[in-house]
Amino acid sequence: MIIVDEYLAIRSLVGDTPSDLPDDVLAITTSVHWRILQRLHLPGGGQLSQAMAALSEPGRAAFRRPAPEILEILDPRPLLDQAAEISAAYGGTGLLIAEMLTASLHHGRTLWYGSERNVGRRTRDIARDLGITVNVVT
Amino acid sequence: MTKGEQLLADMRRARRSGDPRLDDADRAILRRLTSGDLADEFAEALAQDLVDDDLLGGTSPDDK
Repeated sequence: MIIVDEYLAIRSLVGDTPSDLPDDVLAITTSVHWRILQRLHLPGGGQLSQAMAALSEPGRAAFRRPAPEILEILDPRPLLDQAAEISAAYGGTGLLIAEMLTASLHHGRTLWYGSERNVGRRTRDIARDLGITVNVVT
Repeated sequence: MTKGEQLLADMRRARRSGDPRLDDADRAILRRLTSGDLADEFAEALAQDLVDDDLLGGTSPDDK
């Protein structure tokens, strides 16, 4: 199982994962799923909101409840204590970063991102400190 | 090919082909988010989530 970000999660639903992504089950944290779901549920007047509103009902269902054979959503409860510990140790990171780093510690010490823009500086710094490899594939 | 190998190959093929609940129009919309004309707006929306929510994004500017 490998831990991926929003970009690779969406590409997995589309069936458009990069060829250099390992051939393994993909998983996201609940925080990542939350950010994806915001695009569906948050009202807005931009082109993005209009495009998301145009998704079919089955398409929206694929976002809301991904099929686990394509994209798993990790149960946050076993990870939460360690995520809080990591957050505290590094000056109070947000849940998004702490949860992804914790998940990666349990799943191969790697993180996979589909866009360089989606990797924060703190994620890189803490990942390096924890021996986690951050990969970006586009 | 053993039965197990066949099963794993089928699972791999299903995983690689994406979610069948998405139709072609849905897939086209989502490609616009990840690599098309909506990529900038999508990236900005993800970043804004961290600004708007301290639990998610933390309180350090470096987390955003």
